Amino acid sequence: MTTTRLEAHGVGKTFRAATVLRDASLVVRPGEIHALVGQNGCGKSTLIKILTGYHSPDAGMSLAVDGQQLSLPVQWQAARAAGVSVVHQDLGLLDDLTVSENIGIGGFVHSLVTRRIDWKAQDEVARAVLERLELPVSPRDLVGDLPASHRAGVAIARALRDTVAGEGVMILDEATRALPRDELARFHALIRRVVATGTSVVMISHNLEEVLSVSDRVTVLRDGDVVGEGLETASLDEAALARLMLGSSVDRVIRSVAADPDAQVVARIEALELPGHEPLTLEIRRGEVIGLTGLPGTGFEEVPYLVSGARRPSDGTMVIGGRRIDLRRSSVAALMKAGVAMVPERRVRDGLAVELNVRDNLSLPSVRRKGRPWFVSRGWQHRITTDSIHRLAIRARSGHDLVKELSGGNQQKVLFAKWLSVEPVLLVLHEPTQAVDVGARADLLSTVHRAAEEGMGVLLVSTEPADLVEACDRIYVLHPGRPPREMRTEDADEVLEAVYSQPAPAPTPAATGAHHV
Amino acid sequence: MSDTSTTATAQPTTPSPQQPPAKNGAPVWLHQLASRYALIAVWALMALYFYVQVPDTFGTHGTFSSIFGSQQVLVFLAMSALITLAVGEFDLSVASVMGLTATTIPVLAGVHGMNIWLACLIGVGAAILAGAVNAFFVVVMDVSSFVVTLGTGTLLAGIAQAISGTNIVSVNSPALASFATQDVLGMPISFYYGIALALFLAYVLAWTPIGRSMVFVGSNREVARLAGIRVQRIRFGAYIAGGLLAGLAGLLLVATVGGFDSASSASYLLPALAAVFLGTAVVQPGAFNPIGTIVAIYFLTTGIFGLQLLGYQGWIQNAFYGAGLVAAVTLAKVVRDRSKKG
Repeated sequence: MTTTRLEAHGVGKTFRAATVLRDASLVVRPGEIHALVGQNGCGKSTLIKILTGYHSPDAGMSLAVDGQQLSLPVQWQAARAAGVSVVHQDLGLLDDLTVSENIGIGGFVHSLVTRRIDWKAQDEVARAVLERLELPVSPRDLVGDLPASHRAGVAIARALRDTVAGEGVMILDEATRALPRDELARFHALIRRVVATGTSVVMISHNLEEVLSVSDRVTVLRDGDVVGEGLETASLDEAALARLMLGSSVDRVIRSVAADPDAQVVARIEALELPGHEPLTLEIRRGEVIGLTGLPGTGFEEVPYLVSGARRPSDGTMVIGGRRIDLRRSSVAALMKAGVAMVPERRVRDGLAVELNVRDNLSLPSVRRKGRPWFVSRGWQHRITTDSIHRLAIRARSGHDLVKELSGGNQQKVLFAKWLSVEPVLLVLHEPTQAVDVGARADLLSTVHRAAEEGMGVLLVSTEPADLVEACDRIYVLHPGRPPREMRTEDADEVLEAVYSQPAPAPTPAATGAHHV
Repeated sequence: MSDTSTTATAQPTTPSPQQPPAKNGAPVWLHQLASRYALIAVWALMALYFYVQVPDTFGTHGTFSSIFGSQQVLVFLAMSALITLAVGEFDLSVASVMGLTATTIPVLAGVHGMNIWLACLIGVGAAILAGAVNAFFVVVMDVSSFVVTLGTGTLLAGIAQAISGTNIVSVNSPALASFATQDVLGMPISFYYGIALALFLAYVLAWTPIGRSMVFVGSNREVARLAGIRVQRIRFGAYIAGGLLAGLAGLLLVATVGGFDSASSASYLLPALAAVFLGTAVVQPGAFNPIGTIVAIYFLTTGIFGLQLLGYQGWIQNAFYGAGLVAAVTLAKVVRDRSKKG
């Protein structure tokens, strides 16, 4: 019996002249949840990729699992046999296949003679793992039909398929990132059940609150160095952890200038029809940041797309710049022209063309406005690019860097800059700080404040209470079937409570019926 | 890939990691130059080799004008394929559309005695119509462009054979011939048409709002849509423009050769696509670009012509097109990856 489950020392990685990881150590004890944190680009994903054999380490590294030395560079098959498993951030599930198939991928139970998959035995294997995890899921369910936390559970079941209960170490590489907040608790309970058996978990997360509440110990990386090794989370708070990650203290991002409550109204959303909700009407004043939140999945997330013309509501009007725009039959181009800019949630899918360079991405929304039909000059494109890189502290060599070469936080800054460059009247943001590190988050929220000070109206749609209280003047909490609740608060817990305290289907069907008619 | 590039931003001044440290000093611009113009260097080396081997035949003006004066149809056809590829669609029907025009013109003018210019108008019009049919199924009905154009391509090849009665059709029109073959500075005028078309398209893609929109539609349709670009219109337009250029390719073909065998249209498809993809290895690596396509076409032609002069016949054309495409695109990707990672 060893006292460590996984022990890595002297881990270094140099890409030509750039050393991205120096003499790092990671020591994981049996049955603990060990968090690995650090800003984007600090080396934590390099560390994980060395452990999983994707990168080969520099000389001088040693790696042992349960006291048994592994040869380097890591052979993934050997690591897997020693009990190491990984759940990646996108979970790697195929929605069209069953739970059993998803769990079995890469190691189906099959006949040794005909190589035919023995589905009955496979289902049994799947059932056994699911029972171990106490997941109320049948092997024959389609993964696509499952709620988010169960999907994450299936990914974990796959990772633990071949490990004996109570052994092994599972690496969760930002696996909780896609989970809505209300499912997070269930997922955490699941991880706790896993470690209760003695299996260890290494958890990578940007969510410091999650790190502190779930993990036992934490290893902190900054610029390729381990700056905190195996610290007990009980002795830490969020500020201390953030200080370690950044090397300097981060204060809450507080607005220096509050919005003028009598400022001119720049945009008015009138009677916007949201499925299941009362029609939404709200006014956004010059220099004001309005928050909009609610229970994930109830439909308030649609608002950014409905008010920017990306999708059409069944009813609703936008009054902006002295014009009334019928949202039922408007378009992105028309609303852009009126002064609406929208930063969508999924930056890689909907926000940026990652195969193209920073300059082209930044210039895109202005090409028609600033260019002539037969000629788009490069001068203003260059100006926008240098301005943006400077203003948002984007870490890029130049505007010619492809967006996919940047880290997540820097991509998000490019996306912000792209829409700020059109100088909108109303800036609509959807989950603007999703999956970015603390440093980038602070930069992004300060940018929101600056935009407001310059006179834009901002509508911030988010499920992140901390973002809402730090950025917004007023916050609206939407619940299906109820009028929106307006709050002014600096306390994130108060927002959380407003979102979660009232059970969603509060009014009786009869009452809602009467209400609507 | 993603990880190394993430770390690249933390170390802003370090290019190409996998080079041995001894070459530490290789500056970024050299890598860019290498990744952009490697094919041109290979082209020059190849030409030099042929010149040394067979100076008497390869080094003549006749060879020069044969290489550069014979590929206009391919240039137009490749540009037609490039337009749809640039917006993220496939068009496997370009060669058949060209064949339709090249069959229609001689049948109308030669067999039925119609005015040659009217016949040309109808022939090119048919090509545009074919582009619109593709666009209808791909853009409006939202069927996979691969499937639709494979189908329409085969269908149009059949229609062209029906129109021509599976015969070789020809037309004798000096006016039409001089429109394509008139001598300007030692080259047929249609050579300049091809160059002008490529320059025009390169300009449109890089320097006009519609071109920028096309590039974004091709790269990420949803991003383009959320930036106010009318994505469907751009895709529809690309098919129409592609049809038009394929039609013009057919027109040039008839004008240069004087006739067409409708059964041969399929043999034009792969060289055109190969040139477009090979073009992604030059000038703007990784992107469909007209200038790169032109370079690729003349690179391939030079290689084949030289090899033929060395005595290889027949099979060498397919072998060189295929091997050249895979080798050059792979090489360009390797060079690009090395200069991008840091």
